[in-house]
Amino acid sequence: MAHILVVDDSKIMREMLMACLRGLDSMSFAQASSGLEAIEQISLHRFDLVLLDLNMPDIGGIEVVEFIRGQDRLRALPIIVVTTRGDESSRERALGAGATRFLTKPFTPDIIIAEVQALLKPSSQVA
Amino acid sequence: MSTLHVMFLVGDSGYLIPAESVLYMESFTGATLVPGAAPFVVGLVQIRRRVVPVVDLRIRFGLPPAAPSLGQRVIVVQVSERVVGLLVDSAREVVHVPADKIEPPPEIISGQSAGFVRAVAPVNGRLAMLIDLDKVIGPDPVAPDIEPGFVKETVHAQ
Amino acid sequence: MTGPVDFHDYVEGFLAEADEHLGSAGKHLIELDRAARGGQSHPRAVRELFRSLHTIKGLAAMVGVEPIVDVAHEMESLLRAADRAGGRLPAPAVDVLMQGIRAIEERVTQLARKQPVTPAPPKLVAALSALVASPPAGAGGAAPRFGLPAEVDAKLAASEREQIAQGIRGGRRVVLLEFVPAPDKAERGLNITAVRERLSALGELVKVVPRSVATAPGSLVFSLVLVTSAENQTLAQALESEPEAVVALTLDAPAAPDAPDDSDPVVEADDTPAHAHGYVRVDIARLDDALEKLSALVVTRFRLGRAVADLTARGADTRALDVIVGEVTRQLRDLRGAIMRARMMSLAEMLQRVPLLVRGLTRNTDKAVALSIQVGDAELDKGVAEQLFPALVHLIRNAVDHAIEPREERRQQGKPEEGQISIVCDSLSGTHLTLTVTDDGRGIDGERVARKARQPVPRTDEQLLELIAMPGLSTRDEASRISGRGMGVDIVKRTADSLGGSLSLQTSPGRGTSFTLRVPLSVTIVDTFSFVAGAQKFVAPVAMVEEIIVVDASRIAHAPAPDRGRPAPDRAAPEWAALVAPVAAMIERRGQAMPLVSLATLLRLPGRAASPDSGKALVVRLTGRHRGEPIAYGIDRVLGQQEVVIRPLEDPLVRRVGVTGATDLGDGQPTLVLDLVALGAALFSQARADS
Repeated sequence: MAHILVVDDSKIMREMLMACLRGLDSMSFAQASSGLEAIEQISLHRFDLVLLDLNMPDIGGIEVVEFIRGQDRLRALPIIVVTTRGDESSRERALGAGATRFLTKPFTPDIIIAEVQALLKPSSQVA
Repeated sequence: MSTLHVMFLVGDSGYLIPAESVLYMESFTGATLVPGAAPFVVGLVQIRRRVVPVVDLRIRFGLPPAAPSLGQRVIVVQVSERVVGLLVDSAREVVHVPADKIEPPPEIISGQSAGFVRAVAPVNGRLAMLIDLDKVIGPDPVAPDIEPGFVKETVHAQ
Repeated sequence: MTGPVDFHDYVEGFLAEADEHLGSAGKHLIELDRAARGGQSHPRAVRELFRSLHTIKGLAAMVGVEPIVDVAHEMESLLRAADRAGGRLPAPAVDVLMQGIRAIEERVTQLARKQPVTPAPPKLVAALSALVASPPAGAGGAAPRFGLPAEVDAKLAASEREQIAQGIRGGRRVVLLEFVPAPDKAERGLNITAVRERLSALGELVKVVPRSVATAPGSLVFSLVLVTSAENQTLAQALESEPEAVVALTLDAPAAPDAPDDSDPVVEADDTPAHAHGYVRVDIARLDDALEKLSALVVTRFRLGRAVADLTARGADTRALDVIVGEVTRQLRDLRGAIMRARMMSLAEMLQRVPLLVRGLTRNTDKAVALSIQVGDAELDKGVAEQLFPALVHLIRNAVDHAIEPREERRQQGKPEEGQISIVCDSLSGTHLTLTVTDDGRGIDGERVARKARQPVPRTDEQLLELIAMPGLSTRDEASRISGRGMGVDIVKRTADSLGGSLSLQTSPGRGTSFTLRVPLSVTIVDTFSFVAGAQKFVAPVAMVEEIIVVDASRIAHAPAPDRGRPAPDRAAPEWAALVAPVAAMIERRGQAMPLVSLATLLRLPGRAASPDSGKALVVRLTGRHRGEPIAYGIDRVLGQQEVVIRPLEDPLVRRVGVTGATDLGDGQPTLVLDLVALGAALFSQARADS
């Protein structure tokens, strides 16, 4: 059973992502509509993967990644960051801050499915 | 086009309308008066959770109104988007009227009836009249001062 | 296995979110415009605009609408640069951004209508990127400091510093607060989102910084910076912490704004106004269905209530049943509330785009227009809003294009240079909405219009409205220009009519004009008084009735009524009342004379006609042009108060002014719903015509 945190300020975007992933084996989801909510959720619950949009109100996705990696127990939490075209400069910063994978919109359903499946293979799950 | 028609009586005369325009036929137990509506509108009636305006065909056809009777019926018809009820003296029969038996009425009759009668056909040995539902339910164009829900007093005492 | 997910299926959702973002983007642009004219920066608006566009861009990319991605991308770059420069935009930027918003709106509409989406306009794209390249005016200066802890201070962006500095300069406090999330707080709904909402209501939330604190339950503490005028006590309550924990900040370095840059806007773009989106209809159909089912429930509940009352009358112990019926009533009320809320939109929201529209209309003219919108928190049904909005847009366009005079002309007339246009929601009677658009422009000269149109000169405002609403008139350019009303009044009138409402007009040549749109809401459940008049049952909305009074027969002043007419010729049945009585008498109320009108006589009800002498009267206050005038309607007796489902009467045979619809009081017969305000207005108009 994999518990995934989907973070994006657009409700419809979150729905689209969850729709893609629901069909995979044993997924459950929590949602956050801002980086701050995401940090709060992560501090209070346990997740197996985080899908994180980089552009959000009040605190950017990069900062969220930095915050997560700053916690010992979350060092190995898989984080997929998502941004839009034209923001490729964020790629270095995101990966440098400790993001696991980096995706740009638009992407097709099979891309996000493949990324998530790869990260949730037993060897990459949080202990 | 089916040949089935509903036949009903207004006064002593028989009238026909296509069965497919008839939604329901109910007995008449009174109507809610709508102030300011045309004189041939009896009022509103509730039928199967719909509120339907009802036209008194006796008044519409120029007859004096009748005392309430058990035989009275409200025939609820659908005319394009509108749902309207027709109050008639009785309605019991559904008849087949083959197309070749339907004829236009004499001109004097269609003129006198303001276009209400659009055709005639023999039914059971008598002449029944097919009516133009659109015209019959109205409202008639150019109703001068029927704007407010009440009637203005427009006549000065002599 | 996953079924194939196609992101194109999410277009509807995209449209809904895009619409929201575009609406708030418009608002922020107005704020930015105002700030730019005053030579100020507006960091918060820039940031929020940036975010809206970024979101639209991302969504559009996923759903596959490239043209929108292109425009949004350029706008986003421009705004990112502005954000980095402390929230400053080059002055011509606001105009170009507005064009950008319009371009996106057009394409969203195309998408909603399943039309092909036009590619991004190249001139607009070029204009936007040119602005990104040019440095904004007045960037730079030393970064102000505030005495914040280093960890928080390090995270502040230039625009955020600017926001804090402006707050302090503006005489408000800037405080630092802390919120510690915990599982039990989250259970109660006190999470960071709730805290942010509460604090946003108390001031401007500038920054939230998460900090790792080992001793906290989740090892997490949020530090919040807020510009506010609220007391520490209030702030602490919002966070459930102590007032002592609130830390005030100070400003260490001033910064003066620079002189504004007055260059002209760069590019002409297509001037079409935004249209309401057709896709809202899908929502409405489902809600209509829900309402139908609810109305059936309401009727059933009445029947149940009466059945229980019958049982009680027969001596059964129905106490337990009564409690249950009460619960059902409450639950139905809640359900109704939920459905109505889903169907309603606030009038303010509907009018959100109007300031932008007016701004666009006055661009490149020598007219100045001040727009005032006073609609409070009035709400209306989405379906009605969809039809009403274009009608309103017509009225506003006409006011700006034709009624408001250029600055010079106004100066010469001794009017203030800035023209005034106001949109006021006059009253919400529960069943009707009255919207008045007023301008202080040229007014409409009936004589000139009549002459040009070769029609008889109108003698009243009603006749003038008929004249300018004549379909042929709007195509005659000269007459329409002189009429000050151009095209569209016939369309507005048709919209009002088709909604079952009315359009009225008041004008004063040289001084201004007022158009009033009155439409029944398709609200179907309304709180009403039921009563008997002329032996017939009626209901009227509670919201319409100011007071129910007892009429003292001996204190009625019967006024002379020399025009006694015969019984109206349209009542064929001889047994019906041929009573001819004057319609109105007078009574005194609180020192003033008020007309007392017998409803039974007014409506020519055939039942035992009650003279104005008997029992009770419903006092109603009029709206619109006879605003404030009271009328007392004499009735036989009051029956009760109840919520009813109103079915509008749509058939032309029974559509009458003064009758809103019909309802079922549980007795199987339709009961008419009276619009006492409209009846009163008609009475007044007739009185005016008669005297």
